[in-house]
Amino acid sequence: MIPFTVIGGFLGAGKTTLLNRLLAAAAGRRFAVLVNDFGALDIDGRLVAAHGGDTVALANGCLCCTIGDSLIETLLKLLERPERFDHIVVEASGVADPARIADIAVLEPQLERDGVIVVVDAAEVQARAADRRVGDTVLRQIKAADLLVLNKIDLADEPALVHDWLSARAPAPILEARQAEVPIDLLFGLDRRGAAGGKVDEGFRSWSYAWSDPVGRAALMAMLSDTKDVLRAKGIVRFADAPDRRSIVHMVGRRIDVSDGGPWIDDESRLVLLGPKPVLGSLERE
Amino acid sequence: MSTIVYAARRIVTMNPNNPFATHVAVRDGRILGAGTLETLRGWGRFDLDERFKDKVILPGFVEGHSHAYEGGVWKFPYVGFFERTSPDGRRSPGLKSIDEVVAALRAYEKTMPKDGSTLFAWGFDPIYFTGRRMNLGDLDKVSTERPVLVLHSNFHVLNANTPVFGKANISRHTNVHGIVKDEKGEPTGELQENTAKYLAYKAVGIELSSLLSDEPATWGFARVAQLSGVTTATDLHNTLPDSTVAAYETATGSPDFPLRLLPAFAALAMAPDEGIVRLTGLMKKNSERLRYGLVKIVTDGSIQGLSARMRWPGYYDGTPNGVWNIGPDEIDKVLLAYHRAGFQVHIHTNGDEASEVAIESVERALAAAPRWDHRHTLQHAQMADAGQFRRMKALGMCANLFANHIFYWGDIHYARTMGPERAERMDACGTALATGVPFAIHCDAPVTPIGPLFTAWCAANRLTASGRVLGAAEKISVADALRAITLGAAYTLKLDEELGSIDVGKRADLAILGDDPLTVAPEKLKDVPVWGTMVGGRIFEAPKS
Repeated sequence: MIPFTVIGGFLGAGKTTLLNRLLAAAAGRRFAVLVNDFGALDIDGRLVAAHGGDTVALANGCLCCTIGDSLIETLLKLLERPERFDHIVVEASGVADPARIADIAVLEPQLERDGVIVVVDAAEVQARAADRRVGDTVLRQIKAADLLVLNKIDLADEPALVHDWLSARAPAPILEARQAEVPIDLLFGLDRRGAAGGKVDEGFRSWSYAWSDPVGRAALMAMLSDTKDVLRAKGIVRFADAPDRRSIVHMVGRRIDVSDGGPWIDDESRLVLLGPKPVLGSLERE
Repeated sequence: MSTIVYAARRIVTMNPNNPFATHVAVRDGRILGAGTLETLRGWGRFDLDERFKDKVILPGFVEGHSHAYEGGVWKFPYVGFFERTSPDGRRSPGLKSIDEVVAALRAYEKTMPKDGSTLFAWGFDPIYFTGRRMNLGDLDKVSTERPVLVLHSNFHVLNANTPVFGKANISRHTNVHGIVKDEKGEPTGELQENTAKYLAYKAVGIELSSLLSDEPATWGFARVAQLSGVTTATDLHNTLPDSTVAAYETATGSPDFPLRLLPAFAALAMAPDEGIVRLTGLMKKNSERLRYGLVKIVTDGSIQGLSARMRWPGYYDGTPNGVWNIGPDEIDKVLLAYHRAGFQVHIHTNGDEASEVAIESVERALAAAPRWDHRHTLQHAQMADAGQFRRMKALGMCANLFANHIFYWGDIHYARTMGPERAERMDACGTALATGVPFAIHCDAPVTPIGPLFTAWCAANRLTASGRVLGAAEKISVADALRAITLGAAYTLKLDEELGSIDVGKRADLAILGDDPLTVAPEKLKDVPVWGTMVGGRIFEAPKS
């Protein structure tokens, strides 16, 4: 199954900037990125391997597609292509509800719903939210987020107030950023090499846990949802109420999915957490 | 260079200098003249054709807002509440309960090969049913072997049976928007969002968009239009993939094709700079019966689908405001690009906030790139008020109003979506006339059946399905309504110099009727029989039902 991420947010929030960062940092992983308009992407001409009308193949193995009239048709066509991708990312239109787009991955067996990341313009969001024509659209997007990127924080007059305003309206954890500069692995997960644990990157850390006894489901869920600054988690867990099964735990921001991964065959439960550095230090003590 | 003079009981020309005639002369597919036999003699030799001598002739009707899908849906059984006529003139009766729908589907299922293929039906319209909604069990009575899908008349909601849900992996554990569940958490069989619907179609191997827009579908559209006296019709939102372009070109290339087809390019299908190149290329294929050049932007959803963008105070029943299909800033960008490139843009706006945004967007486009006679047209503009019509007039805009909505959904708008006051002024033909906004009226087929005389009846009588008069002050005269379905609609398509009236030099496109719409009682207008049409001088008799 291919992880599927939706990037939502109003026009001008910084979705494209974020995608540009993703494409630049994608080393080793093949991302397929579906966007509304190529023109806005900052694709280095020297890195283009092939240009095919509504797709651009990059030398690093990534592919960009324009969405055209139907996102779902474009996406299913992408899944029919011979090459396999490690991760599919969709740029939602500026007025779309990104959670509805993420529903595709719930229904389509080839996809695994990853996160709904909503990018918010710290300098503009309050004015947008108060606009009688688009306010409800902006708030709907914010509420749909699993993870919020509060972008352009440097341009906000009172960053702390915007942060509080946003957290009062949205249940998702908030990651502040300038020019959409966020740790890419934190948003899109670690690649296979990174999953070994203990990896340190600028501004975030991953931490892996392993233990042998079955764990209480409610206790683990509570721990994951209470520690607001754990932004991602992935693992195979043996729950006390299902000791014969592998339970796959997948968390992005506020959303935790648990799916069944077949009979328990492992020696121990393993869980990798990702989040800002200092917080994870205290988690370790717990 | 032969000339044929057709005699008629009466000819209503829409030419104010010569409003009525008894004879029309046709040469080379064009109108040579209309008048009496005496006034036409001066053109020289002619053959007199008297087959229409007891018929009444009007300019061929122009349907300014329809979709060619209307021709494709008839490949599948119709299960709607109201009687409807297929392209071959067969009448499908209205089905008045869930049981009647199930019985009709069971009968149809028995005619299908026993190969597990999918049964797809359309037009299901439960809004006048009382009691429960249709569920999985109902459609399982049709078959538990083959997938059964029933699309509602709003083209938004889909009902399915258990085999469909099995193939699409939909169960009580599927947490996706638009999969309707009962109080116990079990899916009811109803799918209300595009994602769930699309994947259900895919799971059972139905490719609806290509099935509905191939060459046979294009022919079906022309025939169903012809049955109602239409000689020119738009296909008012199409991404125009190569397969559709090929189907349109082949179908319209036949001289037997009884329609002038005007596809409108779906502007959001690609970035405007690419779209302009694509559309300019397509226009090189333009012929007498196929005309590219229209552009369509869809801004909001539908009122009855609860997705229209409304101004304060919003939905009457408190439903939250609808959704933008494209945001106000993006509308500006797309509109300005096509406006600058010289195209006429048709903007879908159902709710009054959508109309407001579109009007202001046109205003900004005109300030940025002044242009005369652009005729940008609001399509539907169902909730536009007098102030918005005055702004449209000032900006040189047109409106194409969805008069059929008054009959089909007027009762719902009155009771639930708009409330009495706004429902009474919906699709405000009277205000359009009073403010001088050039306007047409339309059916949006296949959402409602194509039939301009019915649409004109709606505008003149404003009766709902339950028989309520909705907004008597917005009624227009039969003469004005007939103008709206001929010259008025042609004006909104920039074809009024070529089509829309019976006048020297115009195309010989005629609607041939069994009675006189100007002398029958206004409430009988919809019952005036259509004998057939003439398109470019060729006669197309409608099949008899």
